[in-house]
Order: sequence, then C-alpha cells, then structure tokens
Amino acid sequence: MNGPGIPWYLAISAILFSTGIAGVLLRRSPLIVLLSLEIMLNASNLAFVGFSRLFGHMDGQVFALAVMAVAAAEVCVGLGLIVAMARRNLDLDVDRMTELRG
Amino acid sequence: MVNGGWVCLISPLVGFLAIMLAGTRITRRQAGIISTVSVFVGFAGAVVAFIDAWRRSPDDRTELTTAWTWLQAGQFKVGLELLVDPLSIVMMLVVTGIGGLIVLYSNGYMAGEDEERRYFAYMAFFVFSMLLLAESGNLLLLLAGWGLVGLASYLLIGFHHERPSAVAAAKKAFVMNAIGDAVMALAFFLTISHIGSLEYGTVFAAVDDGRLSDTVVTLLALGLLGGAVAKSAQIPLHTWLPDAMEGPTPVSALIHAATMVTAGVYLICRTHPVFEGAPDVQHLAALLGLATLLVAGVIALVQWDIKRVIAYSTMSQIGYMFLGAGIGAYGFAMFHLVTHAFFKALLFLAAGLVIHRLDGEQDIRKMGGLRRSMPYTHATFLIGSLALVGIPIFAGFWSKDAILASALAYGGGLGWVLYVGGLLGALLTGLYSFRLYYLVFHGEPAAEGHEAEHHGEGDRSMLVPVGVLAVGSTIVGFLAIPGVWEPFETWLEPVVEPLVTPSTTQEWATSAVAVALGVLGILLARRAFRAGRELVPDGAVRTTLEHKLWFDELYDALFERPGRAVAALLRDRVETPIVQGGLDEVAGETMRGATLTASVQSGLLRTYALAFTVAVGVLTLVFLVVR
Amino acid sequence: MGNVVVWVIWLVAAAACVGTGLRVVTASNPFSSALSLIGNLASLAVLYLLASGEFVAAAQILVYAGAVMVMFLFVIAYLGGRADAPWAGGTRLIQTASVIATAALLSVVLVALMLNAGGRLSDEASITRAFGSPAEMGRLFLTDHLLAFEITSIVLFVAAVGGVVLGMRSEDEALVDAGKESRA
Repeated sequence: MNGPGIPWYLAISAILFSTGIAGVLLRRSPLIVLLSLEIMLNASNLAFVGFSRLFGHMDGQVFALAVMAVAAAEVCVGLGLIVAMARRNLDLDVDRMTELRG
Repeated sequence: MVNGGWVCLISPLVGFLAIMLAGTRITRRQAGIISTVSVFVGFAGAVVAFIDAWRRSPDDRTELTTAWTWLQAGQFKVGLELLVDPLSIVMMLVVTGIGGLIVLYSNGYMAGEDEERRYFAYMAFFVFSMLLLAESGNLLLLLAGWGLVGLASYLLIGFHHERPSAVAAAKKAFVMNAIGDAVMALAFFLTISHIGSLEYGTVFAAVDDGRLSDTVVTLLALGLLGGAVAKSAQIPLHTWLPDAMEGPTPVSALIHAATMVTAGVYLICRTHPVFEGAPDVQHLAALLGLATLLVAGVIALVQWDIKRVIAYSTMSQIGYMFLGAGIGAYGFAMFHLVTHAFFKALLFLAAGLVIHRLDGEQDIRKMGGLRRSMPYTHATFLIGSLALVGIPIFAGFWSKDAILASALAYGGGLGWVLYVGGLLGALLTGLYSFRLYYLVFHGEPAAEGHEAEHHGEGDRSMLVPVGVLAVGSTIVGFLAIPGVWEPFETWLEPVVEPLVTPSTTQEWATSAVAVALGVLGILLARRAFRAGRELVPDGAVRTTLEHKLWFDELYDALFERPGRAVAALLRDRVETPIVQGGLDEVAGETMRGATLTASVQSGLLRTYALAFTVAVGVLTLVFLVVR
Repeated sequence: MGNVVVWVIWLVAAAACVGTGLRVVTASNPFSSALSLIGNLASLAVLYLLASGEFVAAAQILVYAGAVMVMFLFVIAYLGGRADAPWAGGTRLIQTASVIATAALLSVVLVALMLNAGGRLSDEASITRAFGSPAEMGRLFLTDHLLAFEITSIVLFVAAVGGVVLGMRSEDEALVDAGKESRA
C-alpha cells in the first residue's frame, strides 16, 4: 500500500477519540457536547475503515455506514432535546441538569 | 371404659373452644351454660368409665390407649396416651363432679361481672387441663397437663386484671409453679437419659428392677416432689396460695381447694414406685406435709379475711394428704383428697354466698350474726366446718383419722412424730375453723348494715351446688368405715397398694383421740369468742403469725432483690452498651456507607461520562495486556 | 514518486483532521464549532479515500456533512444567542480528572499501537478493484449484514418519530402562545 500504514490511521483515530472525550467531559453547553460526541463517532469510523483495509474485508466499512446512520438518528434526537429545552426557557447548561441525582 | 375417658377429657375442651370461637356472638348466660354443660358431660363420661370399670374384675380395670404418636426421636417415643384406671377415675369423677357443681354455682355468682365469657372459657379450659393431667398415660402428657393447669390458674387468679394485687398474685402463683415445673422437667430429662422412656410402666419397671443407681432414683423422686410441693402449696413453695385468693371465689373453690392443689398428692400416688425406691424422699414428703399442716394451722388463727382462713386450711389439709402419701397410705391420702374436695369446696362456696350477700366484704371483723339472716348458708357452712374438723359421721372424720392411724401403724420415730403432729393439727383445725364460724355467723351483726343490700341468700344456681356439696360432705365419708365397709380402699388397691394398713383398733383409737382434740378446739374457740378475745394474744408470736412466718420477706431478700440487682447490672453493663450499642453502631455504619455510596449519584452528566471514560481506559488496558 | 504524493496528502488531511477536531472542542462560539466539524468531516473523507473506502467517503460527505451538519446549523441558528457556549465546565476536581483520564487513555492506545506497529498491524491484505465500491457494499448489506441493514432502518424510523414528538408543542405552551396571540 502506498502511503502510511494502518497504525497511522489508528493513531489519528485515537487522537480524535480522546479529543472528543475531552470535549464531552469539559464543556458545559449541550450543543458542544453533542458536537464532541460526533467527533468520537467519526474517530471510531476511521478505525473501522482502517481495519477494513488491513484485513481486506469490507465488513468494517459496512459497519462504518451503520454507525453513520445511527449517528444521524442520535443527532436528530439530541437536537430535538436541546430545542425542547430552549423552548421551555431552560438554561442550556449540562451542570444544571441534575434530576438524575441519587 | 376408654370411651368414657375420652368423652370426659374432650368435653370441657370443646366447651372452652366453643366459647372462645363464639366470642361476642353468644351472651354471657349462654357462655355459662356451655361451660357448665361441657363439664357435666365430662362427668357423665367419667361415670360411664367408672361403671364400666366396676363391672369388670379388679385385675382388669386398667386401660391404656394411644391416640397417636406425638413425639418421636430415635428410640424415644411419646404418644398421646390416656390411662383410665381406678386412680384416674377417682380424679376424673372429683374434677368433673365437683367442678361441674362449682361452674354451675358460678353462673349465679359471676352474674353481672364484666367479661363473664372469658371466665367460663377459662373454667372449662382448667377442667380440661386437670383431666389431661389426671388421665395422662405418660409423664410427658402429665407435664403438659401440669403446665396447662398452672396457666389456667394464672389466668383465673388474675381474672380481675385491672386490680394490681390480683395481677401480682397471679404472677406469684405462676412463678412458684414454674419452679416446680422446672424441677420436674429436670427429673424427666434424667428419666429419658437413664431409662429412655416416659411411660409409666417402663419407668416404674426400671425403678423396681434395681437397674438404676440410688442417686438417680432419689433425684427423680426429688424432682417429682418438687413439682408436687409447688403445685400443692406445701412448704417451702407455699406462699402463693393465700395470695391466690384474689381470684373469684368459685376459682378458689375449684382450683385452690378441690382440684389443682391436690394434683401433687395425685402425682405422688401415681408415681409411688419411684418414691418407694427412694424412701428418704418419701419421708421428706411426709415431713413437709407435717410442717405445712402445723404452720398453716397456726397462721390461720390470726387471719381476718374469710377466704384466707379457708386457704390456709386447705394448705393444712393437703399437708395431711402429703403426710399420708409420704408413709405409703396412698388410698387414705386419696380418700382425704376426695372428702376434702367436698367440704372445702362447700366452705368456699358458702363463704362466697356470704361475700356475695355482703357485696364483696371479706373481712370477718365486719361480719357477724349472719346465722339469722342466712340460715341456709349457716347450715351448710356449719356442716363443712364439722367435716373439716373431723366430727363423726361427717366426711373428714373418716379420712383424716385414717391417715393418722396409718402413721401410728407405721411406727418408728417418724411414725410417732407424724402421729402426734397430726393430732395437734386436729386441735388447730378445730380452733381456726370454729373461730371463723363464730365470728361470721354468731354475735351481733356488724354496724355497717350491709345486709339490707340483697334479698334472699342467693340464686338457685348458687344454692343447689352448695346443698349438694353439703350432702356429699356428710355421706361421702361412709366409703371407708374401718373394719366394716371399705370400698374405696379396695377400689384403689390394684393400682396403689398401700405400704401400711392400720388395724381396726388403731383406727378407732385414733379417731377417739382426734375427735376429742377437735371438740376441744371447738370449745376453746367458742370460749374465746364469748369472751370477745382472740385466740392468739398480741405480741411477738402474733406478729410473726400475721406476717406468715416471714416467708415472703425471706424469699424477697433471698431471691427477689438479688435477682433484680443482677438484672439491673446486666441491663447497664451488657444490654445497653453492648447489645443496644452494637446494633446502633451497625445501623449507623450502614447508614454512613449508604450515604457515601449515594454521593456517587450526583446527577451531573459530566461525572457519569468521566466514569465511563475511566472504565473504558481500564478495559482497554486490560485487553491489551491480557492479550 | 506516487508514494510521496500519497504521504503528503495523507499528512495534510491528518493535520486538518486533528486541528479541526481540536477547534470543535475548544471554540466558544458554537457556530465555529459546527463549521470546524464540517472541516473535520471533509478531511476524514479524504482519509477514507486513501484507505480505499470510496463509498464510505462519499456517504460521509453526503450524509454527515450534507444532512447532519445542516441540521446542526439550523438549530444553532434557531437558538441564536442562547447557544453561546463559554467554557467553565465542572468543578476543578472533575476538570483535572477529565484531563488526566483522557491523556491516560490516549497514551495507552498510542503505546499499544507503537508496540504492535511492526507486528500484525503491518500486514495489509491485498485488495481488488471492487474493494470499497458501492456494488460490493450493497452486496454485503443485502446478504451478510442484512440484519444490521434492517435494524438501522428501524433506528432511523424511531429517531424520526422521536424528533417529531420532541418537537410537539405541549399544552401549556399552546395556552401560553394563545395568550400571547390574543394580547398581540
């Protein structure tokens, strides 16, 4: 194969994944959290595609497509939540949403 | 015969259950009727058993029947066994016959009381328990009946549960009985371990065989004696009986005169082979009986409560029975049990008539002159007193003197001590019983003027039983005319063979002396009464007697105070810090742990996400390393 | 020669990827975050192409960048000022912990990669021309992975319903709006 080997792809995937996690854990706005979540999903997609190339099966790519579809669904619902929150004039602040408190 | 036995036993139980289950759906009168009928049906059963036994030859009169096996542990088996033999038939007849009369009397006496239904239920329950005791075919069932009788006694003494004195008396009775029960149970444990069975036959055979060491037999006998002493209120476990007078008068008549307290005598007679195997214990029984006889007699001389005098009298008479059983005169002891049941119940019921008439007054200093206003009661009470003292033709004459004659026939140092003591007791009996009689029925009526309260002497339901008992007290004695006709002795002989039989001369001689002493007592009592003074003058002696020989105080110091101190100590040192504290600590720690754990649930998404991340990291590491 | 070109394109795309990813996470204006994400998706598509995943790359641009991100932008536009997202997230403890956890995770994975890079991760299989093509993808979806295909469609359906439900006006809102209208 020309160009970098699979480990490089996986390294990028790992970096992106960590970035996404940092975003989820550190930001306060649910919108940004959702975007960070997208980063994470994409990172995993990259890993799938990389492995697919490594093993020569297309199964990885098939799954990457499925992940994309699910990500789309999840974004739809997540944004719906955010819009609903906004309509009820709630603060768009992750730290305020503590009704799950035990 | 057995069928009669079963009917006799079950009928009162049915009555009890019926009243309990019906609860408030039946009226008080109906409860009384159910109770009375159930006991009399039991009596019918007893009569049937008696007639059946009578028609058989003397050797054939014992029947042991097992309903089912109650308990089985390895080799040890105990069944629900009924033993119907001459001895148990005597008890059955006495318990249901006199019991029935007393329950009938209660219908009138307890009318207007609160909670009559409870009373009648308990009375039926008591009769059942007593019959269980008497008809049991093995020691375990006997113990069961023993315990239940104690329970019934507790329930009935404490019937007026709103009265603290009644409750205390009930507790006292129960605790003292429990001591006896415990001792008996220990003896039974010993029996099981050494003999392996609690059947009468097996145990008696083992004792007779000589297989067991003397110590074991002695311990066994002591255990039985302990139970008997507690139940029959003999020294040293006697202090509960006078207090038991807190219960209603019919209860005193039935339980604490005619039946329950005589259970100890029955026990000794039933298990006489064991006692004969440990003669020292048997003699101890006789000596305790003698001691009680005399002590109770003198204490009775200073009592002011009509029921207490009769209670001490009971104690004293049971002393006679123990005396008789202690020297092996089982037949006479049982005979005295029967005659005593008649006249003691009579005395109590007649006293009840007096109390009822005077609206609950029991202090004899406030009575007097009732001879004129209550002639029927006066006549019956007089008959009872004469029977008690042992005046000829009345029942007590025949039975008490037979016991004394047996003591004479027994001979030896013990025999003479018992004989003289018993005669002294006859004098005392005359003294205290006629002191009571004169103070209640003679002289001027007390100034309080209670008599106008009631018209007539009482309900028919009360007067009839008293009358029947009076008749009984007169004629029952004739069942043992020495040298002439002794059907009672012969009846019991196959089961309880007496160790000593006095000759006819001895019997008549004793009677002469005893009667003389009794009459002397009566005359002394009359003289004291006429002179308006007490038989026992004021002073140290009187004070001691009034304090019942300081027994209560002694027990209080010996047992009550130390017991309480120990309990308090345990409470302060063990219970509160260790047990309670321990529990509190555990609870506290659990709470703290829970709070700590709950703090993880902060509700913040962020923390949860962090947790996920950490988990994922750890998992990744694990996978990578393990692979 | 071809190798160098590939390497260069790869490095550029990778750098863009990482850079835009960081921008998404760090921007305070949500609009910038969203645009950065679009850039991220584009660079990822390039990387997919370089890994012979042509269909996936196309789908990425069409679906993700085309539909999903447009949705995002719609919402951000709707929210307007309320969407402003300054930093300041969580207690100091959680912040430190998060950073540490993330760093740890990253290092673990990178170390593992490096350790293995010479081993099994370097045997790339040989591939045919059909690899990564829509035809092959379609074939797999309709044979080996039919279940995944069907379930994905159900998931999308559920999400659509969920979106509608979330978007419905509640009764109080209707009353409030009616009140506002009558006064207007």
